[in-house]
Order: sequence, then structure tokens, then C-alpha cells
Amino acid sequence: MDAAPTEPAVHVTVPWIATQLVPSPELAHGDGSARFGLRWQVTPLLFSWGIHRGLSPWRFLVVEPYVRQSGSVEAYVTPEYFVYGSKFADGWVPRAGLRSYLPLIEHGEYLSVSVGTSYFTLAGQSGVAYEAGAYVLFGTVGVQVTVAPSGGPLAAIATLRLRYF
Amino acid sequence: MRRVWLLPLLLVTGCTGFFFSTPSPVPGRITHPRRDDARLAVLWVGHATVLIQMDDKFVLTDPLLGDSAGQISKRLQEPGIDPANLPPLDAVVISHLHFDHLSLGSLDMIEGKVRHLIVPRGGLVYVPNYAFDARELPTWTSFEEGGLRITAVPVKHVGFRYGLDAAWMTESFTGYVFEYHGLSVYFPGDTAYDGDRFRATAARFPHLDLALMPIAPIHPREFMGATHVDPAEAVRGFLDLHADAMVPIHYGTLVNGFDAPGEARATLQREVSARGLEGKVTILPIGGQAVIIPRPGGS
Repeated sequence: MDAAPTEPAVHVTVPWIATQLVPSPELAHGDGSARFGLRWQVTPLLFSWGIHRGLSPWRFLVVEPYVRQSGSVEAYVTPEYFVYGSKFADGWVPRAGLRSYLPLIEHGEYLSVSVGTSYFTLAGQSGVAYEAGAYVLFGTVGVQVTVAPSGGPLAAIATLRLRYF
Repeated sequence: MRRVWLLPLLLVTGCTGFFFSTPSPVPGRITHPRRDDARLAVLWVGHATVLIQMDDKFVLTDPLLGDSAGQISKRLQEPGIDPANLPPLDAVVISHLHFDHLSLGSLDMIEGKVRHLIVPRGGLVYVPNYAFDARELPTWTSFEEGGLRITAVPVKHVGFRYGLDAAWMTESFTGYVFEYHGLSVYFPGDTAYDGDRFRATAARFPHLDLALMPIAPIHPREFMGATHVDPAEAVRGFLDLHADAMVPIHYGTLVNGFDAPGEARATLQREVSARGLEGKVTILPIGGQAVIIPRPGGS
């Protein structure tokens, strides 16, 4: 018999929430000093072109590693915190952007790269940044470099990207 | 909770294998696997990968043809056949979605040789858009073409690939029975011991010529026992199935448990001897080929 592909019932779970709380450490350089920071990732919407043609290419929040790393474009939001300013609240950086993943080895599960752009705000000043990344172990571990041409305290950021789903 | 601490240990074990070992060569690898003297022959490529010849049809199970499973668990011995020497494959089956059974790089290697890819229900979500036909086969349903009939049969395992997807990937594991010209072969992929499921398959297929039975990983048993038969349980399953012959698989290829080198094979040999099954169980080396049913008058 011919069975239609089965849409996975992807949904938010408690273990998924727990994994999303794990931050990615990062180091920013700009204005003559370096700052340590942490980044979290949220994916409100993702479109995958690597997924099987018979299945929905859309994901909301929860994204399986293959679906992301095999080729996709995602809208993302990343709350970040840097050691910056005199008050705790000064260091929070809201950032939103678009990122595209391109598979290189084993349909991205062994190695994939990404390019993206984002808009961020730090201490009332906003800017545009561009980024590139590379990922192994089905996207669980990677490095990202983010550059803001306008300079400022976050002119360049190196991130050890830790992400599971 | 006792099992949780075992997961990172298994990961470390696999990573150790990745960094400190290289696959050893298979001496005298077969370059022409087609056996004109056989009606039913099998070539063990390693792990759960078996090339099955049923008269003029070829089926390949769970192809794992690269140097590692999931970038973590390194191969101990190279594949038992060069993928370039595989014949055109009438069907390739995937039993479940773990990295040692659904290897995308391996499917890439053989894309031009495959006519049909069969995966368990829900499995296509992790299968790329290949040139060949790919389809899901729910349990107790069949796919048939050119007289080759493939039926998904129940086993006891798990359907996730990454771990967190266990919450919704609850059905993506299966065994298969292949039938062609009156020949029949059972392939469970991975399975724990479940007499009811083995006997249900035997009731549906009362004459199986061959059962390809996994025999490892054995240890840690409190963790592996829920999803994998050990050699003694594999033999029990074989007897439940009432198959004529058994070939053990899924051992000695990767580091994916705490088994000592050679333990699974030695344990199986003791079990086979204790039960007097020497004439029914054929233990192959990786790359070894056995004629299970010779062709009458074949040379």
C-alpha cells in the first residue's frame, strides 16, 4: 500500500524548554575592550527546504536538528546579556534577525554553515549586524561570528553556539 | 533515573572510539556479490547492514557504509563491501532512525543504485529528497513490486533520532519480512526480546527461511535490555520465529555499548552449542557471504 508521509507531531515539551535555557557563551569586542556574554535562541518561524517534499516545511519554536541543518531559513530572536554598564539591566541586548543554514556534509548533520543578519539594541543604541557560523554534531555545537559595521561595544562577537533543537 | 548517567558514558565511549581508532581493513573484500549458485544468499556488510540476494532480487538493510555512526561512534572495521561494488538494489530498508541505522551519507553513496527506500511510519521526516522512491511502511502493511513483497512487522524498540524527539517519534521503528519466489527473510533491525511480537510474526509468516538477528549491545543490560536483545534472547527470538536459519548481526562493528571485544560472538557461540543449533546458525565475519539456500544444479 502507499502510505502518505506522516507529519510529525512536533510540540513543546518540558525537556525541550530545559534545553532552550542553556545559553551560548560569547565574547564581544569593541570600543577598545572585551566583554563576556551569554546568548539564548528562540525560533518563532523556520522554513526548511531540506525536509522531504511530502512534508510541511514550516516549524514554529521547536525545530528538529535535521530540519534546520539540512537547509533552512529562520526568523530568530536572541536575548543576550553582556557585562556592560553600571547596572544589571544595561547589559541586556534584544536581537532579532534572519539566518539561513546551508548543509555541507551528511545533509548538514555532520557539518553545516549559516549566514544571517540581525537588528539589535544595547543601552538605547541600535544597530545592524551580520553573522556567519559553522556547526557540527547535527547543529548542537558551532561557532558564530557577528559583526556590526557601525562599531560600538558589540562591534565583533564570537559565540560558541550550543543549541539542541 | 538509573539509566540517565549511562547516556554520557556511552557518548564518551563512542567519542573515544572516534578519536583513537581507525577502521581495520576487511581482507579479501568481495567485489562481485551476486551468487549464481544461490537462491538465497547474504553478505554481512557490518552492523545491521546486510545484502540479501533472493534469486535475482537484492535488498540492502540499514546501510551504514561510512567511517562512523552519527559522527560520534567510529567504525572498528571497514564496510564488508565497497559501496561501488553493490549491485542495483531493488529495495533498501531502514528499520529505525538512529544514526547507526539511518545513515544519510550512506544513502548518498548508493543513491544511483536504489529503486525503493522503505522506512518505518513517520520516518520520512529525516530522509532527504532523493532521486529514488521513498515511502513509509506502517506495521503489518506491505509494499510489493516485481514479485518482491516487503511487510513491516512489529519489533520492540524506539523511534527517535536525537532524543528530544522521543516525545512525538513514537512509532518510527519496525522489522521487515522480505518474500520473493517462495523465499522469506526476517530482519528486525534492533529489537528487545518480546515473545509476543516474534510469535505474531511467526503466525503471519509460518515459514521463514532466514532470520537476521541482532545480538548486541549486551551491556549495560539494565539499559540495553529495554531495546536490544542479547545473544541468548536473540536465539530465543529465532526459536519463536521458527525460522530455518539464523545469521547474527549488529555486533563487532561500532563501539555502542560496554561489551568486551568478541563478547557477543562468544556468548552466542556458547548459546548455540548449549541448544544444539550449530547447523542452523551461521556466524559470518564482516564481509563474509553465505549461501543459505543453494540453487539446484548451481555451480
